[in-house]
Order: sequence, then structure tokens, then C-alpha cells
Amino acid sequence: MNNLVPDTIRQEPSPPSGPEITHEDIDRAHDRQRVLRARAGRGLFSKSRLLWLLIGPGILVMLGENDGPSMVSYAATGARFGVGFFAPFFVLTFVMAIVVQEMTVRLGAATHRGHAELIFARFGPFWGWFSMLDLLLGNFLTLIAEFIAVRAGLGFFGVPPWLAVLIAMLVLVLALITHRYWTWERITLAAALLNLVFIPVAFLAHPDWHAFGRALGTWHPLPKGGLTNETVIVILSDIGATVTPWMLFFQQSATVDKGLTRRDIGYGRLDTVLGAALATVAALATMLCTTPLFSHQMSAENFQGAEFAQALQPIIGRLGAALFALGMVEAGIVASITISISSAYAFGEVAKRPHSLNLPISQGKSFYTVLLLCAAAAGGLVLIPGLPLVPVILIVNVIAVLAMPPALVFLYMLVNDREIMGDLVSPWWANLLAALVVILLVAAGVLFGVSVLAPNALAHLGGG
Amino acid sequence: MTLKDDATDPAITQKDFVTHVLEQDQLSQAKKRPVPRKQLRGIEILVLWSLRIYLLFMIAVVVYQVVLSMR
Repeated sequence: MNNLVPDTIRQEPSPPSGPEITHEDIDRAHDRQRVLRARAGRGLFSKSRLLWLLIGPGILVMLGENDGPSMVSYAATGARFGVGFFAPFFVLTFVMAIVVQEMTVRLGAATHRGHAELIFARFGPFWGWFSMLDLLLGNFLTLIAEFIAVRAGLGFFGVPPWLAVLIAMLVLVLALITHRYWTWERITLAAALLNLVFIPVAFLAHPDWHAFGRALGTWHPLPKGGLTNETVIVILSDIGATVTPWMLFFQQSATVDKGLTRRDIGYGRLDTVLGAALATVAALATMLCTTPLFSHQMSAENFQGAEFAQALQPIIGRLGAALFALGMVEAGIVASITISISSAYAFGEVAKRPHSLNLPISQGKSFYTVLLLCAAAAGGLVLIPGLPLVPVILIVNVIAVLAMPPALVFLYMLVNDREIMGDLVSPWWANLLAALVVILLVAAGVLFGVSVLAPNALAHLGGG
Repeated sequence: MTLKDDATDPAITQKDFVTHVLEQDQLSQAKKRPVPRKQLRGIEILVLWSLRIYLLFMIAVVVYQVVLSMR
């Protein structure tokens, strides 16, 4: 980031004792020292160790996006459409996610600044505050949906709602308690890998593997009835949900907090691709889990996570249903951790308060307060009896639509900003690809927003 | 300089260790330096104004949606 700081600031002499070192710096330096040692080594072991040390933000963001509502959406797609068009379509959506999230890795490694901070600094306070407040609101509403998933998933095991929320909060606190980015990342990664629990459940569902392989290669069969209004809305919803605002803010801030540098970008990309691959497998497995409902012509229109588990129990057995419900719990808990943290990062970056998972509680009071307050308030709201949660879910979609175009446009402008990126600006072909994906995501998001607000507005698209 | 975790004089050695291992811009002190505002070109100003208009429209839509869902 040689050109980021103006000459007038850069040329200020350092104090005789050198820069002030904080606890956050010391923790990050220890993590970086292990990276430097691994990089200095030769052979497969050193390379593998380097990969182990540098993975994290990409896997977490991709598996975090496989959250409660997403898993319900994949399950509903399997139950409604069976195996066919949507199998390769899911793969395509994660490829688009890789294109977008890769930009955040480069931005974070090149500038060592978070996404909200760069928007604030480069485009002014209006856009800085807007991005942060919109993110906070959208994240808070999404958190409610995550706690609903946790409550529903644990409800399958007879856990009362208050205990379900308490368990989710305890996992969140447990991951934070060491106030070390590295420890937090490893605990959350371990929890996120439980997302793969849908794979054994898919095997228990005995899907038609031949049809699945054929669908991946041919995109057939197309959804029954052709391009109906319902199909258009499902497609738009899936494209629009491919990349959500918190993912951009989270991965860039986590890249900075982890301490990735320009030399680590290759591994950052690998981390993102690995995360997308794992998330794609989990998404496809979830879809396959519920295809027996499609074969048996069972309506799953209004199912939530636990209801899918109950409906599948006669087919996949008690163990399969329990694993399915456990997967829903994991999806909600991991997303609630990553989403709360993206809110806390953005708040700290814009309000210019310390923001790092390496901060001791005493030095990061505002960071941890925002983080825990968001999660606790969302968890608490879910426990209020009779609270109308359906409108909340509806508004989440609209808020996400509101936030996405600015977030994606700013991401595109920042990653092409030579003053801060130097030689890491995108080449023309990568820009073309990214522009196509950004335009498609923005258009799909806005159209989905329109479909939510005016359900019949898109009817003419498919003649339905 | 040898990179030691277990420094005998933490006050000095830790600082050397940190400044040796981290890039200057990674230090929390360096992050307090402001990033300069971007000088926007014509097309960028147009994009930002389009976003403002879009936002005004969408905020009205969200408010309408909230009111509608509360009835």
C-alpha cells in the first residue's frame, strides 16, 4: 500500500522510540512468524503447513453463507424440483461468489484496511455511514433468521427455545473468549465443517446418482412447467443470495485481521476456492437429501429446517433426520458468529474504534459490545412469544437488495483504484468477468426485491 | 535480529520482533493514519448519483413494506 498514505503524512518522522506496539500487533506478529517460518521451508510439508496457516476467511465466509435460510432454500429446491437444472445452477452461483470474494482478498491484503473503512475514506462519510448502518440493520435481521434456524433445529431434539438460544450464544462466547484471532478462526472452522453433515444424510436418502451426474453435465431436466413465475423467483433468489453484503465486509476485514499480505494472495484465493467447493458440496447434498420428498410428491412449501427433518425421517431414519436437524443448527450458529463479527468490524472501522479479534476485552470494549449485543438482541427477539417473524424474514430480503448494489459497485471501484491497489488492480479480463457478475447480481437482487414486494410483477416473464 | 518469542526483555524485544515480522502498514498505529479521499472522475460521479437516486427509491419501498407488514 505504498501510495495509500499521502506524502505529507508518510514523511512525518517516527517518534524516537519507534511506533507504539499494541497487544493486537503482538498477537498478529506471532501468527505471521509461523507463516514466515513455513514459507522459508521447502517441500510438501512446508507448503501444506503454509496452506493450513493461511486458510480461514475464505472457508468461513463460504460455509457461513450456507446459513439457516440458505439450507432451507436448498432443501426446498430439492423437494420442489428434484434433481435437474438446479444442481449445476448451484455450482454456477458459487463460481460467481468466488469471482466477487476474490476481490475482497486482494483489497484486504493490499491495503490492510477493512471494506467499510475504505468506503468511508475513499468515497466520503455519507457512503461510509450508509454502508455501515445498512449492513448493521441487514445483519441484525439476518441474525434473527439464524436463531430461528437454531431454535427449529434443536427443537427436533426436544431442546426448549431458551436453551437453544443460550447454546448458540455460548458457542459464540467460547470462540471469542481467548481473544485471539487464530483461536477464534480454528474453533469456528471446526464448527463450520459440520456443514458437511448433509453429505452422509444425502447418501441415506438414496438419490438417483445417475440422474444427478447427468443433471450436472446437461442442466436437464429443466423445472417442470418451464420458466414459470415461481421458477424465475427461485432463480433470482438464488442468484441474489449468492453474495450478500456481510460476506464482502467479513472476508476483507478477516483478511486484514489475520494479517495476510500481498505474498499470501495466492493462498487467499485458494482458501476462497476451497471454501466455495465445500459449500457447493454441502448445498448439493442438502438438495439431494430432500429429493425423496419430490419423488413422493410431498408438499414442502412452508417447511422450515426441523420440519424437513421430520418429513424425511420415515425415509432416511431417525439418525439421518437427527443429522439433518444438527446441520440446520450448525448453519445457524456459524452464520450468527460470522455475521455478528462482520457487524463489529464495520462499526469499528467507521467509528474509528479498535476492531480486531486479537484485542483483549479491556481494549476492544466497543468491538465486543457490538458483536455480543447484536447476537444477544437477535436471540432474545426470537424468544418473544407471538412476535411476527415472517415480516422480518421478508424485510431481510428487501434490506439485502438495498445494500447490494452500493456494496458491489464500491467493491468494483475500490479493486480498480490504482492509488490504493498499486499493481494489484484487476487485469482487463478479470474486470470484464467481475463486471458481468456484478451486473448480474445487482439485476437479480433488484428483480428479486421487486418480486417480494409485488409478487405478480414478474408473472409476464414466464407467462405464469 | 533473531526472532524470539520468549524475550528476556519483553519491553524492547517484543517491539523489535513485531516491527520485524509485520509490515509497517499492518501495525495498529499505522492504521490510524487517514486514507486520502478519492478524486472522482465524471463516470464515477454519475455512478454515485445513480446510487443515491436508487437508494431514495428503495428506502421508500422498504418503509412502505414495513408499514404494510405491520398492518
